[in-house]
Amino acid sequence: MIWLAWRQSRAQVLTVAIVLLAFVIALLVTWGQVADVARDAGLAGCQGGACGAVSRAMFVQVAWVLYYAGTGVLLVLPVLLGTFWGAPMVARELETGTYRFIFSQSVRRDGWLLMKLSIGGGAAALCAGLVSLVLTWWAGPVDRAGGTRIEPLIFTARGLVPIGYAALAFVLGVLIGLVLRRTLVAMAVTLLAVVAVQVGVAVVLPTVLARPVTTISALAPNASFGLSVDHATGEAHVDIDGHVPDGWVLSATAVTSTGVDFHGKADPSCLPSPATPGVTGECLAWVRARHLSQKITYVPESEFWPLQWRGFGVLAVLALGLAGFALWWIRRRLT
Amino acid sequence: MTDALTAESLTKRYGRRTALSDCNLSVPAGHVVGLVGPNGAGKSTLLQLACGLLEPTAGRLEVLGVRPVSGSPRVGFVAQDTPVYPGMTVAEHLRLGAHVNPSWDAGFAERRIAQVGLDPTQKAGKLSGGQRAQLALTVAAAKRPDLLLLDEPLAALDPLARRAFLQGLMELTAEGGVSVVMSSHLVADLERVCDHVIVLAASRVRVAGEVDELIGSHHRLTGPRREPDELGHGWAVVEQSHTDAQSTLMVRSTAPIDDPTWKVARVDLEDVVLAYMSESAPHWVLEGQR
Repeated sequence: MIWLAWRQSRAQVLTVAIVLLAFVIALLVTWGQVADVARDAGLAGCQGGACGAVSRAMFVQVAWVLYYAGTGVLLVLPVLLGTFWGAPMVARELETGTYRFIFSQSVRRDGWLLMKLSIGGGAAALCAGLVSLVLTWWAGPVDRAGGTRIEPLIFTARGLVPIGYAALAFVLGVLIGLVLRRTLVAMAVTLLAVVAVQVGVAVVLPTVLARPVTTISALAPNASFGLSVDHATGEAHVDIDGHVPDGWVLSATAVTSTGVDFHGKADPSCLPSPATPGVTGECLAWVRARHLSQKITYVPESEFWPLQWRGFGVLAVLALGLAGFALWWIRRRLT
Repeated sequence: MTDALTAESLTKRYGRRTALSDCNLSVPAGHVVGLVGPNGAGKSTLLQLACGLLEPTAGRLEVLGVRPVSGSPRVGFVAQDTPVYPGMTVAEHLRLGAHVNPSWDAGFAERRIAQVGLDPTQKAGKLSGGQRAQLALTVAAAKRPDLLLLDEPLAALDPLARRAFLQGLMELTAEGGVSVVMSSHLVADLERVCDHVIVLAASRVRVAGEVDELIGSHHRLTGPRREPDELGHGWAVVEQSHTDAQSTLMVRSTAPIDDPTWKVARVDLEDVVLAYMSESAPHWVLEGQR
């Protein structure tokens, strides 16, 4: 059984492994450069705003193509693994009828599927894990300088969650192929499903599993904000440009001095008129006189590893659940 | 001895379409059984039920005395169009067979591959239809099953490959110990190797029995025209056709036909099978049979 699973997937596994190894080698070769720049730019001792400058400096000098490529690879890898490894794995056997050949040997169907899921899922997790391990280490100085590793896109491409995404995407592809029984349809559906899972998990994860921090601070006099006024009711709404240097911002709202969300009739000077397009000085003064504060809820950078573990756990449980469902399906529903 | 195959009121529906309805069968072990019927009669469905690839909708089916489960080491199956893995070589198929069958007979498999002239290093995707069928039969037989189920193994083969395949099958059964159920829509193919036939048509079993017994008990009668209700008793009319002056019947009777007004002719297997397959075959005849 192991021999069969390996024999049938070795071409794909080797192709992916070679591409990823080449990438990992490129990262290893450029590591010296990253370390040098980090030292020269003074990353170790920077504080607050200085780190921003360091980060920018590093970005210009470091092999930024590799930085973005690495992040991109880890974002796209689960989609590719699910679509090109997972979906055809069982769908092709069902479509071409070879499942009748293998099921007439002395093998249990669920044993056969379990072997495919373990070997393929294991290979997928291993590939993603290796790339993520090397990239997390390689990009560490850059991520630390910018405080960006907690941000959604970077977070998804660092640490442990890529392993979970890869395994889940693979199992999802196998299951979709098993249920739909058509290779091309299964591949297309898997592609959409994996992207949906990535977006869904990225949205749900911080709100459900993280411990976000909420800060309220006075709106700085020179802070930029957006002002929208409802024509019919005259209600004014202030949009805060919520940015926290090293956090994953979940929400940013304008609140009054008592801490409730700001609502209110706009000053007549804020109503747009043909004579004075744009925001008038009078209107600005009116907004400032409201003494608004900005209320920002974000996941701090220190939550990175706890959130990685929890995200990985959720993805792994989902993958195991789907694998269990696929095993049930092949026993009971495949007739 | 346990039956190779026993079915009681076996029914299989795909959604609303009935593929097999109320099928009763008892196939003794140790025979080569031909399963014959027009396309869409339910032959593939019956065979896939028998090897556990399909689950019956209703009724009971026992294969070698137990409920069929796919992956049984005792049942070998060659599916329609003889699927094999196109990217794997002939030798790799044997290796696969050895890996997944505890009862694998490697010596037999290699001998048989050499005997039918297959190149072990050739990819299965590059084999002709006949060669692929031979490979599939070899893998199914080398697991040394007690029952071998073959679903239209001859459909894609030219007459020469057909003969070679049947030859191989006969050698296999001559070694003894294996029962075979093989489906086809061509009676001539089955006549050569089968000692037992089952006729399926429109999802029902029309007749089943030993070939010699079937040929011996059916007669073609020709005589002056009669109305259907003045036909004699003691035999069952399977098929009838009438012209103004003459009636032609196919009847089943174990007793000799002694009415001198009938001219009695012998029939062959194809005559019997075609008579049962044709739509006019009345049900009451069939229900008497099993």
